[in-house]
Amino acid sequence: MDRRTFLKLAGTGSIAFASGCTANPEKTLYSLVNAPDDMVTGQPAWYASTCRECPAGCGIIAKNREGRAVKLEGNPSHPINRGKLCIRGQAALQDVYDPDRLKTPLLKQNNRWEEISYIRAAAILKSRIRTAQQKGPDRVRLISGVAGETLASLFSACMGYWNAGKPVWYEPYAFESLKQAHKDIFGQPALPSYRMEKADFLLGCGADFLETWLSPVEYARKFAHMRRPGQGRKAVFISIGPFQSLTAANADQWISCNPGSETAVLLGLIRTALERGKGTRLPEPLSGKAREVSRPYTQSKVSELTGISTEQLTRLAEAMLRAESPLILGSATAHIGEAAYETDLAATLLNLVLDPDASLFDFNRRHRVESANPRQDTVAFFNTIVTDSPDLVLIHQANPVFTLPPGHNITEKLAETPAFVISFSNAMDETAAMADLIFPTALGLETWDEYGGTTGLVSMLQPVMGSLTQAPAIGDVLLAATDGAGTGAATYKDYLISRLHDASATDPAAAWVSLIQQGGRFSQTEAAGTAPVVTPPIPSAANHVADALSAVKTVHDGKISFAAVSSLRFWDGRGANKPWLNEIPDPLTKVAWQTPVLIHPERMEEMHLMPGDRITIRTAAGELTAPAYDYAGLHPDMAVMAIGQGHDAYGRYARGMGLNPITLLAPALAAVSGGPRFGVNDATLTANGRNQILAHTDGSRIQHGRKIALSVDLKDLHGEPHAEKHGLTMHDFPLTLPTEEGYDPKRDMYKSHSHDTYRWGMVVDLDRCIGCEACAAACYAENNIGVVGETQIIKGREMAWLRVERYHDPDRPEKIIFLPMMCQHCDNAPCEPVCPVYAPHHSREGLNNQIYNRCIGTRFCAQNCPYKVRRFNWLEWKWPAPANLQLNPNVTVRGKGVMEKCSFCIQRIKDARNVAKNENRDIRDGEVVPACVQTCPTGALTFGSYMDKSSRLNKLVRDPRAYQVMGYINTKPAVIYLKKITQII
Amino acid sequence: MELTYEKIDNTVLATLKPPEKGYWVLVSLLLAGVLMGASCWLYQILTGIGVAGQNNPVAWGTYLINFVFWVGIAHSGTLISAILHLFRAGWRNPIARAAETMTVFAVCTAGLYPFIHLGRVWMVYYMLPVPNQRLLWPNFQSPLMFDVVAISTYLTVSSLFWYTGMLPDLAIIRDRTTGIRHKIFKIISLGWTGRFEHWRHYTRGYLFFAALATPLVISVHSVVSWDFALGVVPGWHTTIFAPYFVAGAIHSGLAMVLTLMIPLRAIFHYEEIITIKVLESVAKTIIFTGLIVGFAYGTEVFIAWYSHNAVEIETFRWRAFGDYSLEYWIMVVCNTVIPLLLLFKRIRTHIKWLFAISIFVNIGMWYERFVIIVGSVGHDFIPHAWGLYTPTIVEFGIMIGSFCLFFFLFVLFVKHLPSVSMTEMKESLH
Repeated sequence: MDRRTFLKLAGTGSIAFASGCTANPEKTLYSLVNAPDDMVTGQPAWYASTCRECPAGCGIIAKNREGRAVKLEGNPSHPINRGKLCIRGQAALQDVYDPDRLKTPLLKQNNRWEEISYIRAAAILKSRIRTAQQKGPDRVRLISGVAGETLASLFSACMGYWNAGKPVWYEPYAFESLKQAHKDIFGQPALPSYRMEKADFLLGCGADFLETWLSPVEYARKFAHMRRPGQGRKAVFISIGPFQSLTAANADQWISCNPGSETAVLLGLIRTALERGKGTRLPEPLSGKAREVSRPYTQSKVSELTGISTEQLTRLAEAMLRAESPLILGSATAHIGEAAYETDLAATLLNLVLDPDASLFDFNRRHRVESANPRQDTVAFFNTIVTDSPDLVLIHQANPVFTLPPGHNITEKLAETPAFVISFSNAMDETAAMADLIFPTALGLETWDEYGGTTGLVSMLQPVMGSLTQAPAIGDVLLAATDGAGTGAATYKDYLISRLHDASATDPAAAWVSLIQQGGRFSQTEAAGTAPVVTPPIPSAANHVADALSAVKTVHDGKISFAAVSSLRFWDGRGANKPWLNEIPDPLTKVAWQTPVLIHPERMEEMHLMPGDRITIRTAAGELTAPAYDYAGLHPDMAVMAIGQGHDAYGRYARGMGLNPITLLAPALAAVSGGPRFGVNDATLTANGRNQILAHTDGSRIQHGRKIALSVDLKDLHGEPHAEKHGLTMHDFPLTLPTEEGYDPKRDMYKSHSHDTYRWGMVVDLDRCIGCEACAAACYAENNIGVVGETQIIKGREMAWLRVERYHDPDRPEKIIFLPMMCQHCDNAPCEPVCPVYAPHHSREGLNNQIYNRCIGTRFCAQNCPYKVRRFNWLEWKWPAPANLQLNPNVTVRGKGVMEKCSFCIQRIKDARNVAKNENRDIRDGEVVPACVQTCPTGALTFGSYMDKSSRLNKLVRDPRAYQVMGYINTKPAVIYLKKITQII
Repeated sequence: MELTYEKIDNTVLATLKPPEKGYWVLVSLLLAGVLMGASCWLYQILTGIGVAGQNNPVAWGTYLINFVFWVGIAHSGTLISAILHLFRAGWRNPIARAAETMTVFAVCTAGLYPFIHLGRVWMVYYMLPVPNQRLLWPNFQSPLMFDVVAISTYLTVSSLFWYTGMLPDLAIIRDRTTGIRHKIFKIISLGWTGRFEHWRHYTRGYLFFAALATPLVISVHSVVSWDFALGVVPGWHTTIFAPYFVAGAIHSGLAMVLTLMIPLRAIFHYEEIITIKVLESVAKTIIFTGLIVGFAYGTEVFIAWYSHNAVEIETFRWRAFGDYSLEYWIMVVCNTVIPLLLLFKRIRTHIKWLFAISIFVNIGMWYERFVIIVGSVGHDFIPHAWGLYTPTIVEFGIMIGSFCLFFFLFVLFVKHLPSVSMTEMKESLH
């Protein structure tokens, strides 16, 4: 080889080597030649719509960046949720980007799925309908989840056109017992909304209004409003029941009672109230009947039936009678025990006894879920698809195979029916798997529609982004299949416009635009109408009371009751395909991805069980082997599991994850209300000797007396402020603000950082935090946080930047406190000096920035962080396509080997700064809203600048409840917590 | 039989004779171990640190445990060759060379671990203090930067010291070999002829090196201890850490000296050079360091109780009685109780006992680092974040690889360079 060749080879070689070593970024950037009018590259467009994850119907605004929706937020002007969303609402986006979402219709041919085009699917539907229509009446059956008025009317119109009966509106949680109770007392099967914010005493018998009950975001907000501390007082909330749900964990007191004995407590309270002169305005014969049915329930009798001490019953009655505006709520969404109807009836009666005007009931605003058929109609529907041999069965937004107990044999019935079954599902769920044709239709976030969560409310849906699958809207599918169904509308949008068209407006076109811009017509306010619209039809109500409540069975026979409870994360199971909902742990157990069975610690001990030991639960309906979790908020004779997981299908995140407790439930329906029973009275538990490692994210369940999540008794808060003596120990260390004010030369060797214009910080009011974890979901969505999965959670590698810590009181484990923990942005941050390459960096605005590109992964910062909020990218986390399209373009996606943590949503701070700069001013207080603060349903989080002396932040910091978590380490955290206020009745 | 100059030369040079087959089998096994460890590391680089067992909150695991362990091992070599040289402790002469070699190789092994530990090892040059287009300078406030400086200084000084001390011996080998070996030794003996001038410079130089290396013995492990002591973590944040770590390092280093010397002595028939008396002196020093370490354990617990700080108290309660109590008691027993057996003359002059105890101390000192690193952050300020850590198979692979690397280098050394200083042995005959 000569010299020249050598040099050539060496040159080529090194260039090849060097170019081979570069990361391989996307090389082509496409710009739109003709961008849509409302799209500016780099600027989000917001589209108002309505969340369809549950029947509550919260308003949302979707952030659309370059054609794809990247984040959902509550619509601030929407009367139901006022800008807030729950954990499921935040995760709704993941339905759109589900990697296992069906992209084309599937036709079952010889038991194999064949992909067909949408055109062919539409043709099949059309011909099937025509054939059915020609055969005679009632040949088409339709079952659907609760729909908005417009869609419901279209469904009805179509069914009428096809000469078929009414559609069945199926919701697994249809509140049959509550509806029945209202029907019996008020004469109509309504689900009025409650003016909870006006109450000063709240008694719940299981109603989980902070999780799934009727309209959780709305009630969370009203609850926080009701509970705001006033002059030396705070509205009382007592929860009674055999299981302490998240809602009950937020009560001042949770009182355990024997399973199924809530009615007895309520009857006892009715008796006491009547004795003490309440209910005098209640007309006869209702008051007479009330007296009659409650007569046997003396305190000693109630105590005997329920297992609650008479002393406690007295205190409860006194607190109730003291209240000016008491509100009694009945049973849970998935009610425990047999006597749900009786409980709801007694609760309604007690409300009337205490306030004959029922002024806290708002019959003007009735929850839309009341339009759902009772469970018995659904069961009948599936019976008749076999017995009546219809030609066509249409299933829309419903998964009855999963959500109905196996005793109903829905799978078999779907297999048996001679009808052609079409599922309009977007995912291969259990029910779709039984269909003959799966015809995916556009999701709520992709369609024009209208869904008012309460009566009289017009709340719009509009496509928040282009469709990823070309799936048509269900309305369009039906209209096309029936040539307009006699409505005269060519498309569903036309149909919608024709129904919502405001002819009275001066400029109807402008009115339409403003309707979709605002997301609906919100003129109706909560304050409107103070008198109840409904006066009870007294004689019949009295008869119902006498019938139902004179023979209440409340005998507790010591057998084990098993209950399947609705899940804050998965609702009825439809959330199980969303990775965020799986990954964010259950707020009470802190277990992610799995479904443990909750067992009382005493029983665990009796059975020699350790947490995670697998036990088999047997009921008449079936058996299930689940890992045990010791949970003190439970009657010792109860075992509880959350509904939602344990799917056989429904995509990679749902299939095979967790367990489905519905399989343990009996198919028998409740006698009066026709509703399902979510409990079983004689379950057996057997340990089977094996253990499963629980994917829990918590270490210790108690605080070990540390200054972390503090609470203060109401009496102490408003008592004489005693002069506090400050010291240097954990509990007497003073509040040290992360500003110059917080530095004391006697204590601090170094001076404070100097800050330009802003020093960002946050206040977390623990009295408002209900532990619902909506903030955590918002954080996942906003900040491109990796989902690590069950195995990595077990290894302790969850990536949540914000976690809600849950602590039990060591002496009273049913006393639970929640604390959202995120980066504290300390002024004296221990993570900063230890990094050899300055990756954690203190900004001029007080932020503790993590600079990903600098990070080499020594992990010293995480070790030195007293709050353990830093998260390391142990591996390369995956966003299987198209989930990657959801990534927020304003936030870097972190690769393996770098540290990350809460940034106070720095991208939002920068956005606000840009706006302020353009207007030549400083950022105003409240202009920067991090994702967690934005979505918190109770407004527990407040963000702002310490440098702005008039900021809300600075006002809250002066609250006597203010403290810093483990402040004695002298880190001077910028996150200040306000103590939770407790009271004992 | 008296030791003579000739006998020393012959015994030592006999070790350099062409090795038997068994030797090469051993070398290839060790090399295979090294390659296995390297492939584990490669796998980790490609997949991410997640293949190891670290997590939240225990983000530091066996990589830093082994780092501290090997840095600790590296201590006794210089202690023996430098400090004991200055103190004119003659018993050090027979073991000084091997101990120093152990130091150099242990520092090399230890030096690998910070790299293995990094999440993005390919970005490690960010720590170099060179002007760059990133406009970034390393953070010299960080104890990890102290480490970089301390370890690299220590490696440089101890290698030079080792090499300098070897010069006259290299010349002896040069004079007795022919062919390629002669050429190599001719170059590395740097023209040593044993003239008066050479000896004068050599002895002065050696003394100065010894004086220079002495503070390093103290400083390096003090600096390593500051990796922990400068943190706020309960169990780390304590002022006794520097002396505690130095004593621990010497403790483990001396144990490793025994672990290496005892087989070496048997295989190379060094009985007359490395006498029982020498080993006994090492054993006596181990009793002393063991007592210091034991005192440190006691002090930590006492101060935790005395501080009235709930967090400190809980950390030390948990160490002794919590999830890692087994590890804690292994540490206490192996490091402080078992070495006390050496108080008995019969035990400390008994080769098998000595060897067994040295192994126990090595194990105990490994667990000491485990207890310090995992037993602190696993259970610190926020109980909700508490967690446990278990090493994975990749970590064990790398750990075995690092032990193989150390022994691989050491085994190569004993057959290719004089493992006992002939010069110093001869000096001590006077």
